[in-house]
Amino acid sequence: MSTAPVAAPVPERPLPTPTRESQPYWDGMREGRFMLQHCAGCGKVRHYPRPVCPHCFSQESSFKEAPQGGAIHTWTVCHHPFNFFFKAAAPYIVALIDMDAGVRVNAQLKGVAEADLAIGKRVKMGFEPVNKEVTLPFFVAE
Amino acid sequence: MAHPLHETAAVSGIGETAYTRGTPKSALALQLEASLAAIADAGLSPRDIDGIVPYFPGGGIAEDFIANLGLPDLKLSLFVPMGGATCVAAIQSAAMAVATGVCNHVLIAVGRTGYSGARVSTRLQQFPQFALAAEFEAPIGMFAPAQLYAQGARRHMDLYGTTARQLAEVAVVTRQHAILNGNVVMNKPLTVEEHHASRMISDPFRLFDCSLESDGGAAIIISRADRARDLKKPLVTIMGVAEGHPESPASIAQRPDLLEFGLVKSAPRAYEMAGVGPKDIDVAEIYDCFTFTVIRQLEILGFCKTGEGGSFVMDGRIGLGGDLPINTHGGLLSQGHVVGLNHAIELTRQLRGEAGRAQVKDAEVGLVTGYGDMGDGSIAILRRAA
Repeated sequence: MSTAPVAAPVPERPLPTPTRESQPYWDGMREGRFMLQHCAGCGKVRHYPRPVCPHCFSQESSFKEAPQGGAIHTWTVCHHPFNFFFKAAAPYIVALIDMDAGVRVNAQLKGVAEADLAIGKRVKMGFEPVNKEVTLPFFVAE
Repeated sequence: MAHPLHETAAVSGIGETAYTRGTPKSALALQLEASLAAIADAGLSPRDIDGIVPYFPGGGIAEDFIANLGLPDLKLSLFVPMGGATCVAAIQSAAMAVATGVCNHVLIAVGRTGYSGARVSTRLQQFPQFALAAEFEAPIGMFAPAQLYAQGARRHMDLYGTTARQLAEVAVVTRQHAILNGNVVMNKPLTVEEHHASRMISDPFRLFDCSLESDGGAAIIISRADRARDLKKPLVTIMGVAEGHPESPASIAQRPDLLEFGLVKSAPRAYEMAGVGPKDIDVAEIYDCFTFTVIRQLEILGFCKTGEGGSFVMDGRIGLGGDLPINTHGGLLSQGHVVGLNHAIELTRQLRGEAGRAQVKDAEVGLVTGYGDMGDGSIAILRRAA
C-alpha cells in the first residue's frame, strides 16, 4: 500500500456564471470585444448589465462595442490570497479603471510596477481566455 | 413635531458570550446564549419576546428561537440583509415594531463562528448582494471585503494624503480600549511599529487594519420606552435611528464616488430625528471592519471635514479622555466580530455607566454605526434618560 500523501485538490479559479442580462458581455469578452449595454430609450450606457434603465425605466436595451482604453481610478495590491487559486499570482494589482466609454472595470493590471501606479495613468484592456466559454479582461499600460 | 420614533423605543437588555478564537458551540448556540443573557439583563422572561431580528445568514432563524426559547406568540420575524450595517439598521426596524404596538420586546441577535466555522469569502457566497462581485470581480481575484474596500482607502490616501500612520492610530487606540474591557480576543498592547510590520493583506490594508475572525454571540432587546422604564436597568432611549443605501449598492466599482457610503444619507436623518449634532456626542462606537472605514465614517458623521479624518484620529482625540472616545470596547478590530452588535452593547453600557475601566465620564449621548454590504450605512443615537 502506498504511503505517499494524497495531493491536495488543485484550487479552481472562480468563474462567472453569466445571467440572461450579462451573457452578451461575456460573449463579447470571448471575441475580444468590450460590449456594453445601452438603453434603447435614453441611450445611456449602464454597467453591470441589468433589465431596467435606472434613468428612464426603459426595459429595452442593446449591446454595443466600446473602446478599450481607460485611466486608473484607484487600485489595490492583493497579497493575501483569499481564494487559494490566486496564491501563485500574489501579489497582484487589481486596478479599477475609468473606461473611456463612461463605466468602470475592475481587473488585474499586468506589467506595471507598484511604484508606477497613479490615478489617471492610461491603460488598455486585454483579453485572457481561461476556458472555452470564459474570457476575462485584464489591463496593461497604454 | 418630534419624529414618531424619537425616544419611543429603548435598549432594554444587552447580552454577550465570551469572544474567542475557537469554540465547540454552534453559531445558533452562541446566539441563544447571548439572547438569554440579554433577556436576563432586562429582567424579562424569554416568554416576553414577541419579535425577532436574527442576523442572517449564519446562526438561527425565528423557528429556532421559538423552538429553543418557547416563545409563545412571536408577532414579527425579520431579516435585515445589510451585512455589517444589519445590526444597527435592525434597531430601526425593531423601534418601528414597538412604537407601532406590533411588538413589546424585539430581540436582535447574532451568533457567529467566524474563526472556527466558515471564513469570510465563503460566507459571502451566501449573500445575494454579492452576486455581482461574484460574477465580475471574484474571477479576477477580488472578492473579500479587505480587497473591495482597499481601493476606496487607496483613493482617499491619494486624494487627501491620509497615511498608514493614521490607519495605525485607529488600530492602536482600539487595542488600548480592548485591554480595558477584558472580554476580548486581542488582549496584548499593539504598537505602531507592530502595525507597520504586520503582513500586507490588500494594500493599503495590513493585517492589523483588518477586523478579527472570531467566535461569539451578542444580543440586544428593543422595548417600548415606557415599558423599558419599569425594567431592571437604567433607561437608554433611542433618540434617532436610520439606515442608508449608497448608489450602486451591490457594486463599489460602479459607484460614482467610492467614498459615498449609505451613511451619507442616514446620518443627517438620524441627527435630525435625535435633535442633536456631532458636538453633542460624548462617545461613538464606529463600525470598524477596517481602520480606514472608521476614518471615513468620522468624516461623514460630521466630526471633521472630508479629507480630514486621518488627522482627526491623531493626538489622542479618539482615545479615552480625548474629544471623541471611540470603540471603547475594542471594536471588531480587537474585541471580536459579531457584526457590530457589540458596538450597540458597548454604547448602552457607556450610557448606563456600566463600562468599567473604559467608562467615558458623564456620557449622556452617544452614537453607534453599522457599515457593510459594500457600503450600506446605519446609525443610532442613544441617550441616558433622566
